[in-house]
Amino acid sequence: MKEELHRLNCFVENKPGVLARIVGLFSGRGYNIQTLSVGPTEDGTVSRMKIDVLGSDRVIRQIILQLRNQVNVIEVTVRRKTA
Amino acid sequence: MWKHAMKSKQQVTGAQALVDSLAKAGTEVLFGYPGGAVLDIFNCLPDAPFQFVLGRHEQGSVHMADGYARATGRVGVCLVTSGPGATNTVTGLATANMDGVPLVCVTGQVPLGQIGTDAFQEADTTGITRAVSKHNFLVHSADELPEIVAEAFYIATHGKPGPVVIDVPKNVQQALTDATYPERVSLRAYHPESSATSAQMARLAKLVNEAERPVIYAGGGVIASGAAKDVAALAHRAQIPVATTLMGLGSFDERDPLSLRLAGMHGTAAANYAINHTDLLIALGVRFSDRVTGKLAAYAKKAKIVHVDCDPASIGKNVRVSLGIVADVKDVLTTVSSRVKAAEHAEWLAQIEEWKRKRPMAYKPMHQHVIMPQQVIEAIDNATKGEALLVTDVGQHQMWAAQYFRHSHPRRFLSSGGMGTMGFGIPAAIGAAFGRPDRKVVAVCGDGGAQMTFEELVVAVEHKLPVTFVVINNSCLGMVRQWQELFYGKRYAGSILSVRGRLANERLEQDLKYDYLPDFVKLAQAHGADATRVIDPAKLEGVIRKAVKSGRPTLVEAIVEPRANVYPMQPGGQPVEGMIFE
Ligand SMILES: Cc1ncc(C[n+]2csc(CCOP(=O)(O)OP(=O)(O)O)c2C)c(N)n1
Ligand SMILES: [Mg+2]
Repeated sequence: MKEELHRLNCFVENKPGVLARIVGLFSGRGYNIQTLSVGPTEDGTVSRMKIDVLGSDRVIRQIILQLRNQVNVIEVTVRRKTA
Repeated sequence: MWKHAMKSKQQVTGAQALVDSLAKAGTEVLFGYPGGAVLDIFNCLPDAPFQFVLGRHEQGSVHMADGYARATGRVGVCLVTSGPGATNTVTGLATANMDGVPLVCVTGQVPLGQIGTDAFQEADTTGITRAVSKHNFLVHSADELPEIVAEAFYIATHGKPGPVVIDVPKNVQQALTDATYPERVSLRAYHPESSATSAQMARLAKLVNEAERPVIYAGGGVIASGAAKDVAALAHRAQIPVATTLMGLGSFDERDPLSLRLAGMHGTAAANYAINHTDLLIALGVRFSDRVTGKLAAYAKKAKIVHVDCDPASIGKNVRVSLGIVADVKDVLTTVSSRVKAAEHAEWLAQIEEWKRKRPMAYKPMHQHVIMPQQVIEAIDNATKGEALLVTDVGQHQMWAAQYFRHSHPRRFLSSGGMGTMGFGIPAAIGAAFGRPDRKVVAVCGDGGAQMTFEELVVAVEHKLPVTFVVINNSCLGMVRQWQELFYGKRYAGSILSVRGRLANERLEQDLKYDYLPDFVKLAQAHGADATRVIDPAKLEGVIRKAVKSGRPTLVEAIVEPRANVYPMQPGGQPVEGMIFE
């Protein structure tokens, strides 16, 4: 299946362990995150994560659903990045 | 409430707050094992309003909590120490996580200040359990404890249920707090509510009303949501046949003419043929495991698939669906059933009857004086009049227990489906007996798996639990042996437990005194249980009947035909045409 670059925007609760949980969903599949940045939002209890990752649409869709299932994930959006 | 708040707040230790919170959350039985990092919590247990059950290995304690939860629908709770205690829970947590079983597992941890220093019995428990639990917490302050316990129970039971780990450092257990158990839980980011729309409901009803060859395919989600009666009502109203997954056994009465029984790798021909020919597959609370679908491209290829499940991530994961509804199965069925028209589907049901007649679930005795393993399951069914709460281990005997028992009620067939964990049977049966003292609990184990958690038998003896442990002894790791016979040129590497029949480089001393090791009867007796060995097919049912009737923990070792295989079989990745029958 064709792998393309995706940009995921995750808004998560600013709590310890959340980053590891999210990264685990990618690394557990053997996916390599290309760029990752985490920063605060205006609401200090919420962080924003930007994740660029190569993957097929189908698997990325699956990861997003599993991200949304996480107890500390508030919202996830995705768009395809043209390299 | 105002009065309560005015009372000067009393300070208690974190350990006490934890125990009080577990009680508030509804804990009736706590399973577990002590150690240095949880001594403060254990120190509060003598005054706790719930029972504590000491397992003999932390894996056993988690499986007990799991069996308790599966049998009752309540949350199973366990408590273990840090380091090795916590790492020993991993298999138990993974087992519960895969099958969506609600657990809360409290682990001790070294004091906060020592975390990361390779302290004695330190393990990164939240790191290790992250991938095998639904969620976990590391508690930083005693003040957080009541709220975290409440959240853990909430998370364990809402959405797709699962195990939640609470890791509690020792200094947090010792610190003082006046925090109280919250009245209500509200999680900022976790809202697993139903997203079913009325348009979806209308569409579902329309699809059902238009279908000519519909099949209901019911899984563990039906049992979890308490929707068995609603499934039966829908099936009867529109005369829709019902197949189930392994986890769904008991969600529809197999004595009902509409039952197709088990689907999948070792399912009935009728169930798999029906799914292959259906024009509407109504999938309720399932996740389309690869053990069920076989070759995905060929699965239910003539059908529109409707998938109702509480887990949005399971919809569209393995199969393409025409209509996916993220919702509790019961909620959907109660709304939809009034819009479904009565129907007969006479032609379709006649076709199914023919498949059932042509390809019944059947086996042939291989030797007149040797018990067939399938016979053991039938004997349990007969001896308990189908009333047994059947708990299995993993292997061939598990599949025979699925195939040759007439499953009729939810929460009476407990088995490790997703993880396939050997060693589940004995402790899960014990946990089930704590939860349902009114039931006849029968554990069915293989000779391999029984040895993985045999130590827990002591717990059944100590508590005089009326559990019958049936070990189906085929002197081999039967399911492995079967795959080697069928797909690996009969090279039985590592799968033969008896002295005879081993490969050259595994050969044992031929003058070894025993052909079978261990002697399960002596082993059970050494644990304090009653035990009998049965070799004669004519005596089988009587022995089981007596064991069940005794009301005491009893082990029955049935020596069975070692060459028996589980059929039918649709080998992994094959289409339904690849089903083999003998
Ligand atoms: C913990 C664990 N290890 C290995 C396996 C792989 N496995 C699946 S079935 C099986 C054989 C089980 O043998 P036994 O308990 O005697 O049951 P039988 O198949 O003979 O009925 C094995 C080794 C497993 N499921 N679980
Ligand atoms: Mg065996």
